[in-house]
Amino acid sequence: MSDWIGFFQDVVDYGPQILQGLGNTLLLWVVMTITGLLGSILVFYLTLSQHRLVCRLTDAYISFFIGTPLIVLLFLMYYGLPQWGLRLSPFTVAVIGFTFNVAAYNARYLRAAYNGLDQEELEAGRAQGFSSRQVFLLITLPQSLRLAVPGLTNQAILNLKDSSVAFLIQYTEFFAQVQELATRNFQYFKAYLMAGLVYLALVSVIVIVARQLERRLVRPIGG
Amino acid sequence: MALLEVSGLVKEFDGKPVLNGVDLSLEEGQVKVIMGPSGCGKSTLLRCINRLVEPTSGRILFRGEDVTRPDTDVRALRQRIGFVFQHFALYRHLSALDNIKLGLRKLRRMSDAEATDRACHELRRMDMEEHRDKYPAQLSGGQKQRVAIARALAMDPAVLFFDEPTSALDPRMAREVVALINQLFMDNVTMLCVTHDVFLARYISDRILFLDHGQVRAEGDVEQLLDAHDDPQIRAFFGPGTRAR
Repeated sequence: MSDWIGFFQDVVDYGPQILQGLGNTLLLWVVMTITGLLGSILVFYLTLSQHRLVCRLTDAYISFFIGTPLIVLLFLMYYGLPQWGLRLSPFTVAVIGFTFNVAAYNARYLRAAYNGLDQEELEAGRAQGFSSRQVFLLITLPQSLRLAVPGLTNQAILNLKDSSVAFLIQYTEFFAQVQELATRNFQYFKAYLMAGLVYLALVSVIVIVARQLERRLVRPIGG
Repeated sequence: MALLEVSGLVKEFDGKPVLNGVDLSLEEGQVKVIMGPSGCGKSTLLRCINRLVEPTSGRILFRGEDVTRPDTDVRALRQRIGFVFQHFALYRHLSALDNIKLGLRKLRRMSDAEATDRACHELRRMDMEEHRDKYPAQLSGGQKQRVAIARALAMDPAVLFFDEPTSALDPRMAREVVALINQLFMDNVTMLCVTHDVFLARYISDRILFLDHGQVRAEGDVEQLLDAHDDPQIRAFFGPGTRAR
């Protein structure tokens, strides 16, 4: 028991740094979730292009980022690009890397949702006189987003968990600070258990919000 | 001048003709029904006229203007043609009211209040105002088709196209929709209706056009076509049960 009290004392002493790390984790999570979603809407729009070349390039983009480990991409930008004279901050590298990665996954969820849309509704939009862009913005996108809510919220949860990878490119997020605490007091088990519980608590909040969102957005419009 | 004049309309898919030289004219205030076996090109004909499907050749005059020309403003043409679909095609993420308002707001550039007034007027006309806030999933088939008709009418089109408006409905709901379309007929709304529903055809139409293998095989009034036509294939299509009751 005295072990735990000592550990909590260390946590309190190191509290400001841990809180700062938690703030950095949440900042990265919010930014990449938003940029990843916006990026995915653009990628999704391009997958619906009438031009075959645009479709192929977009498919290649999605396949590349789904097929490549994120850590490779982050290391490529953070450790590789300086050899070409381009030095980016850890936060910038993390945001760019995660955005490209998350956008590819989200675009797949949106595309799968699109395949489930009633094509007659889209034809009705064109028949009413809407332009292709209006049909996309007013009909295709709202419906695809709603149908993709479960996939998109799962991705948001993954984003939070994956954000811990950013400590490998010197981004001082929550896990990096817990790591620092553990190397100071050698209480590895307790430190990583605490990190796991904090991630679980944060994910639980996201899950509760996501389920509310699903209830409000998906159920009223039915199948 | 006819509202719509189609001449020599051809549409081929992969070299296979679906429409093979269709001629058709529709006067202002007239209602025509297009009937024919499945796959004869009825729905393609409607979609060629509003350019949802590009015709291979032929000419379509809409109020005297050739709308098959490459410089035709296709979106403006479509806004003058109200289209009612077989499976209603209501936008499922919008309420009945918003389904009607969308076109008024984004295409007619009406203010929110104006669009709401107009949409409510059309819903009242279709006896659907009490359901204005319901989503399509919360409406019956007949109610959905009423909203779809209200959505088309709200845009104040020159003509209404119906693509099998009763075929996805049970007989009771179908009769309700037939009565509504008949009311529009009485109100002098110009309509072109593709259907298999002989009951609907009898009720609403001045003229019936029989399409077969992408060609107009016969055109005449209801009695001529449905009751003892000379052509054995047309008689076989309509069958003895369709004769005057």
